[in-house]
Amino acid sequence: MLRGLGATAIGLPFLEEMALAAGSRAPVIPVRAFNLFFGLGIPAPLQREEFEGVLEPLQPLSGKLLIMRGIDQVRCDEGGMNAHFDGASGAFTATPPNGEARAGGASIDQVIRQATHPGGMPPGMVPTLVGGTFFRRSRISRYVHSYNEDGTVAAAMQEKPRDLFDRVFGKLDHGGEDLRRERLKRSVLDSVVDQYRHLTGPNSPLGTASKARVAEHLDRIREFEQRAFAMKHRDENGPGMPPRSQVPHGGPADPGGQGIDLTLEELTTEWRLMADLYALAIQMDRARFGSLTFLAAGERIRLTGDYRYNGRRVFAFDDARQRNATGEKGCSHEWWHAFNEGRKNEQLRAHAHMKMRELAYFLGRLDETTEANGRSILENSLLTISTESGDGRHNDSKRELSGVFHAVTGANGRFKTGRFMDLEAEGLDVYNTMLAAMGARGRLGPANREHRPVDAIRA
Amino acid sequence: MFRLLLFFALLLAASTASRAGRAHRGLLVLYDFSSPQGTVVKDRAGTRPPLDLRIANPGAVRRTAGTLQLHGNAVIRSDRPAAKVIAAVRRSGELTVEAWIQPANTTLDGPARIVTLSANSAERNFTLGQDGHKFDVRLRTTRTSTNGIPSLASPPRSLKAQLVHVIYTRGRDGMARLYLDGSPQSERKVAGDLRNWDASLRLAIGNELTGDRPWKGTCHLVAIYGRALTLQEVRGNHRAGPRASGAAAASPGDAGARFFETKIAPLLARNCLECHDAATRKGDLDLSRRDRALAGGKNGKALVPGDPDASLLWEEVSHDDMPKDRDPLKPEEKALLQKWITDGARWSLEAIDPAIYAHAGPAGTWVQRLTVAEYIATVQQTMGVDISAEARRLLPPDLRADGFSNTAYNLNVDLKHVEAYARLAAAIVDRLDVPRFAGRFSKNRKLTQKEIRALIAGMGRWILRGPLEAREIDSYHGITTTVASGGGGFEEAVRYVIEAMLQSPRFLYRLEHQQGDGEMWPAGDYELASRLSYIIWGCSPDETLMKAAAEGLLTDPERLEHEAKRLLAAPRAVERSLQFVHEWLDLGRLDNLRPDRTRFPRWDPALAADMQRETRAFFEEIVWKQKRPLSELLNAPVTFATPRLAAHYGLAPRGAPGELARHDLDPRGGRGGLLTQGSVLTIGGDDASMVTRGLFVMHDLLRGVVKDPPPGVDTTPIPSSPGVTQRFAAERRINDKACGGCHARFEPLAFALEKYDGLGAFRHKDEFGNALREDGEIFLPGAERAVAYGSARELADFLAASDRVKSSLTWKLTQFALGRPLGAADAPHLEAIHREAQKNGGTYQATLTAIVLSDLVRLTRTEPAPP
Repeated sequence: MLRGLGATAIGLPFLEEMALAAGSRAPVIPVRAFNLFFGLGIPAPLQREEFEGVLEPLQPLSGKLLIMRGIDQVRCDEGGMNAHFDGASGAFTATPPNGEARAGGASIDQVIRQATHPGGMPPGMVPTLVGGTFFRRSRISRYVHSYNEDGTVAAAMQEKPRDLFDRVFGKLDHGGEDLRRERLKRSVLDSVVDQYRHLTGPNSPLGTASKARVAEHLDRIREFEQRAFAMKHRDENGPGMPPRSQVPHGGPADPGGQGIDLTLEELTTEWRLMADLYALAIQMDRARFGSLTFLAAGERIRLTGDYRYNGRRVFAFDDARQRNATGEKGCSHEWWHAFNEGRKNEQLRAHAHMKMRELAYFLGRLDETTEANGRSILENSLLTISTESGDGRHNDSKRELSGVFHAVTGANGRFKTGRFMDLEAEGLDVYNTMLAAMGARGRLGPANREHRPVDAIRA
Repeated sequence: MFRLLLFFALLLAASTASRAGRAHRGLLVLYDFSSPQGTVVKDRAGTRPPLDLRIANPGAVRRTAGTLQLHGNAVIRSDRPAAKVIAAVRRSGELTVEAWIQPANTTLDGPARIVTLSANSAERNFTLGQDGHKFDVRLRTTRTSTNGIPSLASPPRSLKAQLVHVIYTRGRDGMARLYLDGSPQSERKVAGDLRNWDASLRLAIGNELTGDRPWKGTCHLVAIYGRALTLQEVRGNHRAGPRASGAAAASPGDAGARFFETKIAPLLARNCLECHDAATRKGDLDLSRRDRALAGGKNGKALVPGDPDASLLWEEVSHDDMPKDRDPLKPEEKALLQKWITDGARWSLEAIDPAIYAHAGPAGTWVQRLTVAEYIATVQQTMGVDISAEARRLLPPDLRADGFSNTAYNLNVDLKHVEAYARLAAAIVDRLDVPRFAGRFSKNRKLTQKEIRALIAGMGRWILRGPLEAREIDSYHGITTTVASGGGGFEEAVRYVIEAMLQSPRFLYRLEHQQGDGEMWPAGDYELASRLSYIIWGCSPDETLMKAAAEGLLTDPERLEHEAKRLLAAPRAVERSLQFVHEWLDLGRLDNLRPDRTRFPRWDPALAADMQRETRAFFEEIVWKQKRPLSELLNAPVTFATPRLAAHYGLAPRGAPGELARHDLDPRGGRGGLLTQGSVLTIGGDDASMVTRGLFVMHDLLRGVVKDPPPGVDTTPIPSSPGVTQRFAAERRINDKACGGCHARFEPLAFALEKYDGLGAFRHKDEFGNALREDGEIFLPGAERAVAYGSARELADFLAASDRVKSSLTWKLTQFALGRPLGAADAPHLEAIHREAQKNGGTYQATLTAIVLSDLVRLTRTEPAPP
């Protein structure tokens, strides 16, 4: 069994892939590359506190991580549309966005995928798996973090655990276009259901009889939904359907940038289910490339709830009350804009600490499975952890969003781990160095730019 | 017309007028501080759900019975958003804030919050405040800041540290006024509308929600209305004083009248008038009229006010001897009757018209789903796409209820509807030039938040017949982000948004705000636009109507009338009127006409379609070309027939085969008017049933009421035979003691039609050689005496001149316009509509104009929120 948070339990079947991995043949460890994004970053001064501060939850995995400081993403600020958007677009591409809905080029995972599987992925495998738990949707690169060479998204975002589950374990023999179209149709139906639900809810303007009629219509829609979108080709070896998501998705998740109210429990339950499923997809070798997002760039949530870590109470989240504001001004996002190195910044610290805890949860899932070479999946994979780069100057906390943060895993012995490194290098050079180490010939950034390898990170 | 209607009108007026001197209509919250203790200030408006306020810091206030004194940094606020206030004001665009207060001094400023619906010092829907020696009112509209500035202030030094009655009103025309002690003090235009009121705000007295704008003084009464009180009402509230409660009971006299009207009259109509109305008067007892009922019958006094045991009516009913041959009254009905007699048998009506109580339909206000015809027309109007073929193929047909297939309570939804709507939405978008369509609302083709949300808002306002709420924009925006995150572009995103809109309840239903306090509230601007358009055109409003709604012009009766006339001049109005006649006469029945081949060997099935076309063409001629009164549909000496139908009727065939040709009919001849057209005559079946034909005239032209036969009665039709005509059989039923009471009411209505066979062909003798007649006499509902006629022509002329028929046509058209059966509460409005329509010629156009200008269309009957 793969056990997730609380009541979530997903049956883990015995699969041929796993047998092979544990079998007698010479161990073949697949190349994997995933981008792990978290919103809003960690201000540079807090990164200097290392595991004494907000990075504390990463400490149990510290031996398997290389945490890099001093990486400038300066070119992401050139367009200057929006610090969160520009910076997020460059998080794994190291280049500024190319228009409203495109990144400036390929992301690390996709360059490696093309290099390792130029003829396409093995049958039954999801070419690129993109998932996430996020609530800010105004621009794609705030939450999608896998891009093709031309800057277009590499795969559709799976934003509900069930969507991701369906993508990995359902309809494996369907063509990509059918699935995509079905996904869009579902988003239409989601919106329609949303409208009907409002009319049957407590804020409905309708009287009793009308409400009953609309409720009847909603019932018929649900019946239609079941019939139209039932998973007809579910993999019989796949695990059981995960529980239905309990947090907003689609439009209601981002009401015009005004932010939403969320309890810590709602957030972590959703995320951990997503993390469990994503990890399961990797463990079952259904996915080797892709990206996972924990909260979008410029995320706007008003979080409430007690935050505990290792048995101690870290903080009581109550963003709106603590900011004494409603709407967007009451969101946790504002703690980042209000960061002042001379102050305690306790709310920001608590949020950042919580994010590290949740990233560590996902990393920990990957660390549970040991592969044939004696290393865990976490150690054998390239996980690049990053965040929006803002204006890219990590060393100047007076500038907006100084929280550029980078960490990578060892990628089966390719990179140094178990340390912090102050690189004082441009992101593009660091990423291209990583690509070189992974054996990829492709490079990010302008073709005529002189590449400055950052060999210090290589093992 | 019965005086009953006048009574209803008075009753309606009374229900919306003042109680105990205070205006009551539109009252949303009322705090009279009558409780001398506790930390909760009760909302005593009676409008559910109550919005009680909590005293956050009791140490800063002192309570007495009727006052709340604020002497410290107090805040008295609701625990939740003031949803009922916000929803009502958003909808009406109007507001009144009223307070009886005594400020502690004239130095408080900030302004100090007396009554506020806000979040903090910068975000509010409104605030009534004190700024030194002035009152200051801030109101958020779409044209002011979120802080409600610019504000409206009372004149300098108008505020004193003494008891004062302050009222702020803001009407839909934007005019805001401040009154002190019943006198106007200042006014200004506060432009914009109130649809942008923040739904999350809480109501507070005595401070800002953040606790930093305290007011000090004594509150005696605070009230908020969802409309602007008139000067007269302001003065009335002032005269009523600070101790007047808003929820005084209606007078005992009113209660007695209401009890009779709502409980006893329907009970008598349903159980007694079948035998004891003015026409039947069994036992010489007429229970339909007050004076006759009190006079009693041949067996004695039916009613002795105050003494049930001396009342024959009670004696018979309580022993289940009456109603005869019907189910006895239920215990609760008997209890009502006994109570009524015991309380004095208050009889507030001159006469009871059973028709008013006959067709109430299921209780409640039902949202109207678009009928198939309305869906097709709405898609055409909104998207410019003809989807009629697919829609008629995919959508289940709408079923008739209470005589029409647009009856809201019967417009239910099946899985097939949902599936069809999804497929049709995709088909519509497939035929749409999406970029061009989107270009009507925004030239921008970006998928970024600001741009796409603006497009969604503009497009949604048009497709969904009114502005979208932020919640809805969020939802549609979600689709575009999903498309974008899957690599899709602008056109694809817009396509899916339109698909979603076409399946949304706001497209498929005519959604309206129905929640309130149970009273009649003004319909919103966009609701009025939709009502007008669907009533006259059967489709969504055009751009002109939407613009008028956006500018708030439709609440002006003159503008509404202007728009009604404009819509009536368009071809769509003709098509809609033809839907009415199709429904009213159930012309769809002809599609399935299959007469007995052995009896009618020469029947040509094409004749059924010819009959449909005849009636439609005839209706179009009288209503649209000649613009004659609707009642002339009964006797106009003209018709339109194909050569085939003309031959069937015995008229000289004329015109090209299959084409309709006009036939001017001999006024002295038998044929002329709807009753002599095949489409109506075939209603009697092959046997030309007098029962069915008579019931049609009774129900659909005279609004008469007759019950089904008692259980166990043999209702097998008696076929004609040598010596037995249909009339002979009818007269046997009429003379039968058990049947005659009812059959005498409706079968004579069909005597005049005996010479038309089951398929509408004219003959003087039936198939057995029996001579046929066309003379007879009829009782109009409520009439005491029968009226004799000598021929079908005379009957047609009599009906065309009858005010009962004219008013019945008004009722029918109103029922179709509103999409619901009409009941007792509608009766006074129907009377007003009928009077106005007749004053203007009694035409279809005049009637429809009177309908849309009536309170039945301009107001909405609201439903109190659940407790």
